Amino acid sequence: MRPRTKSLFAALAFTASVAIPGAGIAADVKGAAPTDPALIEKIRKSNAECYACHTEAGLKNPPRADMDMAALAKFIHDPKQFDGSNHTGMECKVCHGQGYVAFPHAPEAKKSISECGECHATKALRVETQFEDSIHAKNLADKFTCQTCHDPHVYKVAAKVGDPRKIVEQDNAMCVDCHNSDLRYSAFSTALPTKKVRPDLYATHDWLPNARLHWSAVRCIECHTPVSPVKSLATSHEILAKDKSDKACVTCHSQDSALASRLYRYASTNVGADLGFANASVLGSAYVVGATRHPLIDRAVIGLFGLTVVGLLGHGALRIVMAFFRRRRAS
Amino acid sequence: MSHRIYLLPPWLRLWHWTNATLMIVLAVTGASLHFADPGLYLVPFSLAAKIHDIAGVALLVAYGFFVLANIVTGNWWQYVPKPPGVLARCWKQTVFYGWGIFHGAPHPYPPTKEANFNALQAIVYWVIMYLVVPTVILTGVVFLFPDLAPARVFGLDGLLPVAMLHYLSGAAVILFMLAHIYLGTTGVRPTSLFKMMITGWHEE
Repeated sequence: MRPRTKSLFAALAFTASVAIPGAGIAADVKGAAPTDPALIEKIRKSNAECYACHTEAGLKNPPRADMDMAALAKFIHDPKQFDGSNHTGMECKVCHGQGYVAFPHAPEAKKSISECGECHATKALRVETQFEDSIHAKNLADKFTCQTCHDPHVYKVAAKVGDPRKIVEQDNAMCVDCHNSDLRYSAFSTALPTKKVRPDLYATHDWLPNARLHWSAVRCIECHTPVSPVKSLATSHEILAKDKSDKACVTCHSQDSALASRLYRYASTNVGADLGFANASVLGSAYVVGATRHPLIDRAVIGLFGLTVVGLLGHGALRIVMAFFRRRRAS
Repeated sequence: MSHRIYLLPPWLRLWHWTNATLMIVLAVTGASLHFADPGLYLVPFSLAAKIHDIAGVALLVAYGFFVLANIVTGNWWQYVPKPPGVLARCWKQTVFYGWGIFHGAPHPYPPTKEANFNALQAIVYWVIMYLVVPTVILTGVVFLFPDLAPARVFGLDGLLPVAMLHYLSGAAVILFMLAHIYLGTTGVRPTSLFKMMITGWHEE
């Protein structure tokens, strides 16, 4: 099935699922945790049943003796992390369907896990188009899913994280989980026609000044996704291969910095804006050469430079003229 | 027949030209970085960043050499304007640049072995070499190791005041350099003072 068709199908499936009694309980407002105390308690109780096993505590003290502990160890979650994620307030069974209600879980339960597009239909339509053009889709096709990068139990969208440093930390972890791990990378690269050895990140970024500083201050996707000409659009899911990635430093290091509309689009402007700095939202947590400058100070410096040059040239010209007249008078 | 005196030892001339080269490189690459823009046709950003870092460290080394050599040889004394009448001599020098120079007047304070610089020169050189250049270098070192900067200052990134000082002191050095190069043409002939900086001999 073509991905876009799949999304449309998913949207229909979601519409149908909300009408089916017994389906999982989701938030009453899209994207927001529920506010009804009775509903919150119902979800808490339902999730507590899952957490009884699928947490570190559950792994240490399993409620049953007949469990496959090795299998369970692969599916451990942190309730605190989940509560901080995008999906906080949701019942586990919204995504993990009927197959997971009883224990032992149904043998084919995994197949009943909802696809992201079932809820995120509109976003999926946009994302899929971008993803289809990405290097991940070209190389790994169906082996690469939303969850390869976005762990739904942990992930939080940038708009909700807000703090650019935390966005960078979260988003770059998704990339380096594979691109800085031979084990994870080789697990995916086996799908390629010729198995690829994981390139060393330092070697591939040796052209980039202060690579380590960049990695802690901006997301990999600042360079590895195309900048949309429409600045209001979120970052793209079209992850670019290294030869197509943006090597133009001025994309960020300039007064018209892409950082302001990408990584810093959710950062609040602050005292820097009152002082008249360009890209003031960036200045709240970073000084970026070429971007966080003060247009008035720049004009004053350029003006002084110009005046000095003109003054000195004028002085020199006058000396030449006066010397000419002196020589003529003397002769 | 012109009169010649030997003023500048080889170490001073070597340092001067090294310093001059590095300052020009730093000025061009610094401008490429600060005014970075897709429409700015100076040095490409990543290349400018690398060159600026290397030249900056070289300038630090050259400056260390300059300070040490000044202490060892006693040349630091040349940069101290000697009273009495410092301000009056500065004014006389300023009047020369603003009037006398156009009328063929002689330099009011030609250099001697004991006093290489006139009072105005000594003050300006002292401010540049012992205040402004150390500011550029120290702030540049913090730029190289941003962790040295405070995390935040008045709700803004802590590197901002460092960066502003670096930029403004760097701009001051560039303005000085422009005037310095121009004043190099005010010897007996426009090339005399440049020759002096190569040979060490001052011509009057």
